[in-house]
Amino acid sequence: MNVHLELFDISLQNKDNHRLKGINLSIKSGEKIAILGKSGSGKTSLLKVANGTLKPTKGLVKYNGTDINQISRKQKSHIATLWQDLRLVEELSVNQNINIGILGQKNFFWSLANLIAAIEENACIDCLHAAQLNKNVIHKNVKELSSGQRTRVAIARLLRQKSKIFLADEPFTALDPHQSLNILKILLNEVECNSFIIPSTCVMTLHQPQFIKYFSRIIGIKEGKIFFDLESHEISNQVIKALYK
Amino acid sequence: MKIFKDRILSLLIIFLSIINQSSFAQEKLRISAIPDQFPEKLNRLYIKLADELSNRLEIDVVYKPVINYQASVSAFRTGDLDMVWFGGLTGVQARLQRPGSIVIAQRDIDAEFHSVFIANKSSEIEPIDNINELNRLKGKRFTFGSESSTSGRLMPQYFLEQANVLISDFKGARAGFSGSHDTTIALVASGSYEAGVLNEEVWKDNLKSGNIDTSNVYVIWRTPAYANYHWLAQPNLDERFGKNFTSKLQKTILSLNKNKPKQKEILELFGADKFVKAYDYQYKDIETIGRKLGKIR
Amino acid sequence: MKKLYFSAPFIALIPILVIIPISFEFLNGFHVGGINTLTKFLISAFNPSFDKFIIAKSLHGLAITFSIAVFAWTISIAMGIILALFSSYSIFKILGFPSLIATIIRRLLMLTRATHELIWGLLLLQIFGLDPWIAIIAMVIPYSSLMARIFAEQIDAIDFDKIISIQQTGATKIQVIITAMLPKIIPLIGTYGFYRLECAVRGATLLGVFGLGGIGTQLYLSTLSLNFSEMWTSLWILFIAIYGLEKSLECAQNPYLYINRVGIYTIISLLILLIVFLLSFISLLYLGFDLLSASSIYFPSIISPENIMRSINDLPWIKLILETLTITIFASCIATALPPILLMLYPSKIFEKIISIFWVFCRLFPPPLTSLLLILCTKPSVSVAALALGIQNMGVLGRILKENINKQSSLISNAISKTGSKKQLSWFYGKFTPQSNRYITYSIYRADIILRETVVVGVVGGVGLGWQLQESLSSFAWEEVILITVIFISITLIGESLTEILQNKLHNSTQ
Repeated sequence: MNVHLELFDISLQNKDNHRLKGINLSIKSGEKIAILGKSGSGKTSLLKVANGTLKPTKGLVKYNGTDINQISRKQKSHIATLWQDLRLVEELSVNQNINIGILGQKNFFWSLANLIAAIEENACIDCLHAAQLNKNVIHKNVKELSSGQRTRVAIARLLRQKSKIFLADEPFTALDPHQSLNILKILLNEVECNSFIIPSTCVMTLHQPQFIKYFSRIIGIKEGKIFFDLESHEISNQVIKALYK
Repeated sequence: MKIFKDRILSLLIIFLSIINQSSFAQEKLRISAIPDQFPEKLNRLYIKLADELSNRLEIDVVYKPVINYQASVSAFRTGDLDMVWFGGLTGVQARLQRPGSIVIAQRDIDAEFHSVFIANKSSEIEPIDNINELNRLKGKRFTFGSESSTSGRLMPQYFLEQANVLISDFKGARAGFSGSHDTTIALVASGSYEAGVLNEEVWKDNLKSGNIDTSNVYVIWRTPAYANYHWLAQPNLDERFGKNFTSKLQKTILSLNKNKPKQKEILELFGADKFVKAYDYQYKDIETIGRKLGKIR
Repeated sequence: MKKLYFSAPFIALIPILVIIPISFEFLNGFHVGGINTLTKFLISAFNPSFDKFIIAKSLHGLAITFSIAVFAWTISIAMGIILALFSSYSIFKILGFPSLIATIIRRLLMLTRATHELIWGLLLLQIFGLDPWIAIIAMVIPYSSLMARIFAEQIDAIDFDKIISIQQTGATKIQVIITAMLPKIIPLIGTYGFYRLECAVRGATLLGVFGLGGIGTQLYLSTLSLNFSEMWTSLWILFIAIYGLEKSLECAQNPYLYINRVGIYTIISLLILLIVFLLSFISLLYLGFDLLSASSIYFPSIISPENIMRSINDLPWIKLILETLTITIFASCIATALPPILLMLYPSKIFEKIISIFWVFCRLFPPPLTSLLLILCTKPSVSVAALALGIQNMGVLGRILKENINKQSSLISNAISKTGSKKQLSWFYGKFTPQSNRYITYSIYRADIILRETVVVGVVGGVGLGWQLQESLSSFAWEEVILITVIFISITLIGESLTEILQNKLHNSTQ
């Protein structure tokens, strides 16, 4: 198994509080990792540091052995992120938003064309299906969608990126439990869907401990430190309780 | 690549020359005048004059209208106008800003020019015999013409100050600036202002054409004489139009004759019998007064 | 003790108290002499001249004004977008350049913006002489920086996280810029940009009043000669043109035109801009504007430091500045308080229609002419200048208020009128109150603009820095002209920062 992402001794310090303290983590190819922890424990910060959008005050993140700040465009497109606030471009249609996922693999003119017309519609529809959204929303503006639909558009965008690894920050907040489970299963590659390559490696922050059985590895974060790092079958109720105490 | 560039360039030049043929034509003499009256009249007058000069001098002469006094001075300074019909003050301002400019001519009436103070009937201001009686205007609503006008502001203000009447003595401690002589008549006649002052020639013109309701507005005082309007030409006309052009131009203007129908029309529009020679020194007084009142720095 | 509490809707109405000093000063100098003339002015509105020659002349003037306005407007949009890119912090952040450059460019733009197009026109006239470009450049300078400001603000309003998320897909900088920013900027051309077109027509008309040609010149001349039926011919023609323009622009602002179709909308907008640019250029050439020949520069005579010192001592600066500020405050009060009061008087569809037509006239009648008419029956004063400016800006604010009220849902006002309260009250609580915060914010922003515009009425009203500027220009006292311009710019900048503080305060107190 080759290592994908490595975090070395990561610390993150704000003005007056430590968000992350001395975190070491290596994420190997094929791992499905869930990150648990109370609100404000540093889960989101950890994800942001991992994808390179937040510079740690101390420490280093490496992707396949290269500093995350120095990886090529192509390598950058290997890491997809599903943001908690989704970050859709409000002025654009569903189709255009999904295509943003693949911008990193296209040139300037393609991205200009994406603004002008609905291009590569079929590919987008595939992603939509995978995200369990009806294709008739494809030409709608994302503003017109419900928050659950918007989450799924963001997921479709994530799928469109065809990344090797994806990071997701609490993807289920806007979904009901049934939908959440469906989507989780798709993201974890447990159901068949059309010719889709779903990234085999994922890191997901969660608020729903009941889902941890679908993951291979569970990391608990407490006050900016790794509280536990266990395989899913090793998790007991006491551990979880202790984490949320 | 270079050939391509050249071709584009030549196309561009052709295109430009089509829409702008005139820029390759012979040089034109551009005349203008301070806008002391309504533009319709100015247009009629100066286009006729331009035609006449064009015929006699055998060059293109165009009239370029200007909307305000200071724009005509500025345009003369920047060389956009070759010969301008200036008032006393604007002429001096122009000469100071364009040293070497040549005073060409004035009308027969300009050597001894007058302004008239007028009043609205309801103001009950009595006609004035003596300059000191101008103090009757104290406390009245009073309007000048344009702020750069010699006959509508500069000289009247000078005479008022001689009679110890200051702007702050008028009602509201301010005087109005109507913008033009015709407007001054209209504003005083309508009663918006109780009194005002303007160019005597315009007053007479309006009287003659019956534009004034004499039951409503009347003259209260005629100022002493001073030198006013004159033609001023750029110093470099000889270089641009040929040797002795300036004196040829001067002669042409001086020779306008009211016995010839076309020229008579022009002279009538100018309100004069003929043009006479004018000299720099005639305007020394204006310069002094202008400096005193802060209109010339 | 009870604490005094002012809510936003009442704050918007308080400025009406300014009527007291204004009417005092107005009536103090009032005289019946001009009433006849004013009546003639009003009657002539329904009795314009239908003389063929005059109509033709007005149409010719309208063609000039519109060509100048449209030409200057298209250039301003192009320049505005370019300048916006160079003054946006987000862009600099994406490109990885130091944001200091953006700050410097912003400061420079503040300077060009703080100066009214009329001042630019008068100054450029002194440097370039009679050049047809003057009116155009005079408008382009402040307009492009105004647009740059709005565009840049919108660009910077984009959540930078979104930009990061697009960057995270591996997209290049330029891809990020077009994908994240174009959809945001282009619709602005349709909304704010088109609104600016109307301003440009007004600006070109105003420059006409000061002698740069077109319908403004005709309005000015016919007003000066008190030839009101002729004046109303021009005014009605201008009204029809502006009204038509506004209506067609409203259609163009329909969001369904660009939503999801940003790209096509961009291309079409750019195409239209290009066509309009070429058309106005050709029409200006056709109208006799010699835009193609090169112009030479003439700087006025040398400026000496002693003369500057002398000017500093000579002029009553404090009085001039105070007068200018008073005009600004009075005019802002009128412009802010009157629209809601007028709308509240008799809330009904027909009355609203009449008021909004009245507002169109307020907007398009140049303030110098308003004050010219006012001084027919009172003496020139700060109040006259303030009234003239206030009336025009009332037209602007009224339109904005009405548009925003029409956009909001009528649920609240329906609920209130169901309680059986009076029409006026249900309008006030149901329609105006929800808008009042926004309205005050916009009014404060408008005060900045009014401060800048005082230069326009000073000329006729005989008060303030504007008047002194005209006086100094006609005396060719360059030192004074420079000083006045500098002071004008400084107080505008100070005013801008003050209103910013005020806006923040209001924003915080109402949150």
